[in-house]
Amino acid sequence: MSAAAAFWTLIVLLAAGTFLMRSIPLWLHGRSLMPRWIDRFLRYVPAAALTALIVPGALYVRSNGDYEFAPERIVAAGVALLIALRTRSVVATMLGGMAVLWVGQILL
Amino acid sequence: MPDRTAAHTASDRARTARSMLAGAKDVSPIILGIVPFGLVAGAAVVEAGFGLVEAIGMSLLVNAGASQIAATALFAEGAPLWVAIGTALVINVRMLIYAASFAPVVVPHTSRRGRVFLGHPLVDQSYAVTMTRGRFRDDVDVVPYYVGSWLILASLWQVSNVVGALAGPFVPPEWSLDFTIPLVFLAMLVPVLKRRTDIEVALVTGFAAALLVPALPMQTGLLAAIAAGLGWGALRHSDERNRTGARTGASR
Repeated sequence: MSAAAAFWTLIVLLAAGTFLMRSIPLWLHGRSLMPRWIDRFLRYVPAAALTALIVPGALYVRSNGDYEFAPERIVAAGVALLIALRTRSVVATMLGGMAVLWVGQILL
Repeated sequence: MPDRTAAHTASDRARTARSMLAGAKDVSPIILGIVPFGLVAGAAVVEAGFGLVEAIGMSLLVNAGASQIAATALFAEGAPLWVAIGTALVINVRMLIYAASFAPVVVPHTSRRGRVFLGHPLVDQSYAVTMTRGRFRDDVDVVPYYVGSWLILASLWQVSNVVGALAGPFVPPEWSLDFTIPLVFLAMLVPVLKRRTDIEVALVTGFAAALLVPALPMQTGLLAAIAAGLGWGALRHSDERNRTGARTGASR
């Protein structure tokens, strides 16, 4: 499969799955819905999924497939976390994190 | 009588238009927040080796920013399709929860045919504004209100995707623009950490991701780390339930 075909496959399957998750509870409205135990797992999905997406990119850089610790990224992500906790601002978090990363890249 | 019917339809249409505008207006204070995500999402598609068509097509079809960024980044890192799709779908599982609580608000006002596509405009912001404001307003119809709030969001989302896709290639690699992806997710994570258990789940997932992502093949470490965090959450949740259960039992 060419890269473009693979990427379009990803787009279409991701779109279909997301559409179904948004729609099925609306289509089934009135009929019995999800069992309780599913809810027990689902309520922590945002915290778990977002953390998993942050951590590798905040700790490591990849060179030739190997993961290497990147101290400047760790520091920058730590500062960005503090900014996010204090300001709740996406823009401030991104600008602050990038600024610390750039300073770190110059110094290290 | 035809006159009256015509007048009725016209006033219906006016009310629908007014409702859509009201939704767009109510959501506007929070829409600027999606611009940085849109820029990152658009730039990520180009970074992965594709162009405007893919960036726009993905946004129109998937219509869920965080999962788009994650899927594109995983794809670019060479993860197998099922891993990229599976991880991105896990991020969107929250839509199930949204839709379940949204159904009683909108489904009674929608025809059977309209219900087919009723779910597509369901995103974080359109859900939030409809649940907290739109459904309590007597002067608007809730379904057009919800669709209107999404239309303005989706337009701004498309524009920021296109800008990100066009500008991305001009950014020199020394700027390490890839780091904006964890930063964007970090900004999304902080408001989610409301309960103590949320923080515990984040810590467990974080440690698991730090260890498992480099160790497991084909980027499956992300899914494994998420599973570890969710497992911890489920454990703690039943713990809390048992304790409250015991307390109520004792007081009786």
